[in-house]
Amino acid sequence: MSWWPFGRKKEEQPPWLNAYLKEARKSIPGIRKIQQLSFVVLDTEATGFDPKKDELLSCGIIGIEEEKIKISSSKEWQFASEKSPGKSATIHGLIHPKNPIELKTFCQELLGNLRGSIIVGHHIGFDLDLLCKTFQPFGFNQFPNPKIDTMNLAVRLDFGPQVDWNRVRKEDYSLDALCEKFNIPKEDRHTAGGDAFLTAQLLLKLLKQAEKKGILTYQELFR
Amino acid sequence: MANVIVNRVQEFLKKHPPFSFLNQDDLASVASQIEIQYHEKGEILFEKGDAPEAHFFILKEGQIELKDGEETKDFCDEGDVFGVLALLGKRPYILTAAVLENSLVYCIPVNAFEEILQRNSKVALFFAAGFASGQVVIRQDLSAGQKARGIFKKDNNDHSLLIFSDQSEIRFSENVVCIAAESSIQQAAEKMAEKEVSSVVIINSEKYPVGIITDKDLRTKVVAKAISLDLPVKQIMSSPVVTKKRDSSFSDLYLSMIKNRLHHLILTEDGSAESPVCGILSDHDVLLSMGNSPAVLINALLNTTDLTEMRAIRDRAETMLRYYLENEVSMDFVASVMTEINDVIIQQATKIARSKLAPEFPEMQGIKFAFISLGSEGREEQLLRTDQDNALIYEDLPASVQVKAANYFHLMGSEIVEVLLACGFASCPGEIMASNPKWVQPLSKWKEYFSEWILSPTQESLMQASIFFDFRKITGSSSLTDELSAHIYEEIQSKKAFLSFMAQNALKNPPPLGFFKDFMVEKSGEHRDQFDIKARAMMPLADLARLLVLSHGITGINNTFKRFEKLGQLEPNYESLFNQAGKAYEILMRMRALEGLQNDNSGRFISPEHMGKLQRQLLKNTFSPLAELQDIMEVRFQLAYFRK
Repeated sequence: MSWWPFGRKKEEQPPWLNAYLKEARKSIPGIRKIQQLSFVVLDTEATGFDPKKDELLSCGIIGIEEEKIKISSSKEWQFASEKSPGKSATIHGLIHPKNPIELKTFCQELLGNLRGSIIVGHHIGFDLDLLCKTFQPFGFNQFPNPKIDTMNLAVRLDFGPQVDWNRVRKEDYSLDALCEKFNIPKEDRHTAGGDAFLTAQLLLKLLKQAEKKGILTYQELFR
Repeated sequence: MANVIVNRVQEFLKKHPPFSFLNQDDLASVASQIEIQYHEKGEILFEKGDAPEAHFFILKEGQIELKDGEETKDFCDEGDVFGVLALLGKRPYILTAAVLENSLVYCIPVNAFEEILQRNSKVALFFAAGFASGQVVIRQDLSAGQKARGIFKKDNNDHSLLIFSDQSEIRFSENVVCIAAESSIQQAAEKMAEKEVSSVVIINSEKYPVGIITDKDLRTKVVAKAISLDLPVKQIMSSPVVTKKRDSSFSDLYLSMIKNRLHHLILTEDGSAESPVCGILSDHDVLLSMGNSPAVLINALLNTTDLTEMRAIRDRAETMLRYYLENEVSMDFVASVMTEINDVIIQQATKIARSKLAPEFPEMQGIKFAFISLGSEGREEQLLRTDQDNALIYEDLPASVQVKAANYFHLMGSEIVEVLLACGFASCPGEIMASNPKWVQPLSKWKEYFSEWILSPTQESLMQASIFFDFRKITGSSSLTDELSAHIYEEIQSKKAFLSFMAQNALKNPPPLGFFKDFMVEKSGEHRDQFDIKARAMMPLADLARLLVLSHGITGINNTFKRFEKLGQLEPNYESLFNQAGKAYEILMRMRALEGLQNDNSGRFISPEHMGKLQRQLLKNTFSPLAELQDIMEVRFQLAYFRK
């Protein structure tokens, strides 16, 4: 237990983390059709909106394979937070976790589910920053998987890839607004699982739009 | 592992058959295996002839057309299950599924369901019934829907099958006619004749049932084969026997009779055949336990003037009604029986009132009068004891006796109304009852009323017309009502414009469905979020039927579905539409009555939220003839001019 942080990072990583990193770093061939891509839609709820300060309360994921939402792949984890729930808790209505689990188990399970999939989420950056921070004790610092932010995807489909962000009204691209636009009933909103499910339905609909615009492959999707 | 997402999927599934028949565990297991697809307008989900997928589908949102070539076979809406051939026959799809509106489709893996199919007879029956089996369900054909309804129980919370509706009271014979296995056929036949039974149970020395002989066995195995009557009964008995425990539930007993094609079910102490016989249930007993016969009830009514007893009999009639409704007895028959019973009650009530008033008004006894029912009872459609609408007509009298007569008939009308209230008929909120002096009048005054409604139709008079034009004499002198009818039709002939006003009024009823094909529910008040089946579905049809028969100058047919039947004969080019409308009305009557029986109210307000998928579809189907009829009326009575 030295305070000296350099020189022995890699060796400290447990094998399950290595297995994940190896798979997540694999590159996906650019010509792969969207239908063949596997996605994992992820959402977290936290004690607040600052990934540096706030803590993870719950996390939900659901997988999409061959453009089908697989309910069997849906998972939800709840945590006991030491920090008293702040501002965000009033939105999520989460105070007492139902079924708290150990952090390590969670990390192993989550990464086992992510593997080589594309990670999808609405404002996914926030969720991943929060998870990275949470997983720091295991020497984890980044998700190498390709990522899609459904908000960016929706904006891109409306404005094209060279979007001038000043012209975009952000509130039109909130999860709520998009659910309304795409006629997705906002059920179980502000639960990690519920939001992940909504985002998954949103992704299906966005991908259909994308296909209509000639975005058919992995490289076109990520251009 | 159940989570928010699985729960959400489960919530959706459990509203729709066949998933509604699943228990919690099975439902959760199915829900967790579902896959969700999204398809945009114009896509093809599967083509006719394609090999079946490993899943069948339930539509979450959107619309899918099932077609054979260019011919549309069916439309699937939210909650419809389709593509189940994969589940049943593993044959190629017989139809093509094209996406009409952007659709979210839930795919249910076949193997998730196969095991459930083995275990859950209700689910199996659902598919066996041909429903959603990829077979065509032609929405327009209401009679198919009517049949389908028989399979499903009315109860919204419990989507179990109709035939399992539990009858708490079941009567079976406890004195079972038994005979020892060594007895001869001759002895068995003698015993059956002596006890006047159709079956005899063969028992061993411990009184355990070993076989059974029925009338049919004697015919087919003895007489037809000409075997000796001295042979032991063992030779011809049916064995082994199916037994049940004596205190099993009715549905359990009934079901095992159906399953085993039994006419007689033997009940034993512990339910096995290794236990003494203690009862026998025949299908005749089943029938008897299910309801009382109308003849018995009417006879009982005719022989009593005791209010408590009359009420009790009317209550029993309701039990019978429920049995009829649930067992798909024809609406014509059901309505006739209930009308007959209601009429008898009114006739008895009149008798009671007259005998009570006779000592005080001896001079009034010879005056002709008629007690008329209006509204639904007038149309012979009152199944439940909803509001009473009635009135009284008496003959025109010289001024000298008029005042006294008015008093007498008012007292009489009030008395009758009181008796009806005591029998459970609700009072009319609009005071259209024979206890209201306004509606107890001599014939000439009644003619005036009608002339006024016809000649100067105001909003209010049109509303009243809809009730009064359906009058029907229940008791008293027909000559009065005949004369009134004749007067009305004469007036209408001379003022045809009245019909246009009536038509306009008939089209004013609020629409049943909103823009998005959802039920228009009440926005506020006590019945918020409930669907007013009377105002939005039944009244419009009743109004149209009345209007049309009046325009044809037909008298004497009051019943709405009979009116449609008659109209079909008069206007052959619209025959199928009128038949549909008549059927729709029958379905609505049935639904409303069942709803009312269920909740012990008038059944007028139904919560679409709590309805099963099938019922909702069935209800929606009833609206289609209405919309078509309204369009025709619009043209026929030139209503476009009227609005201006």
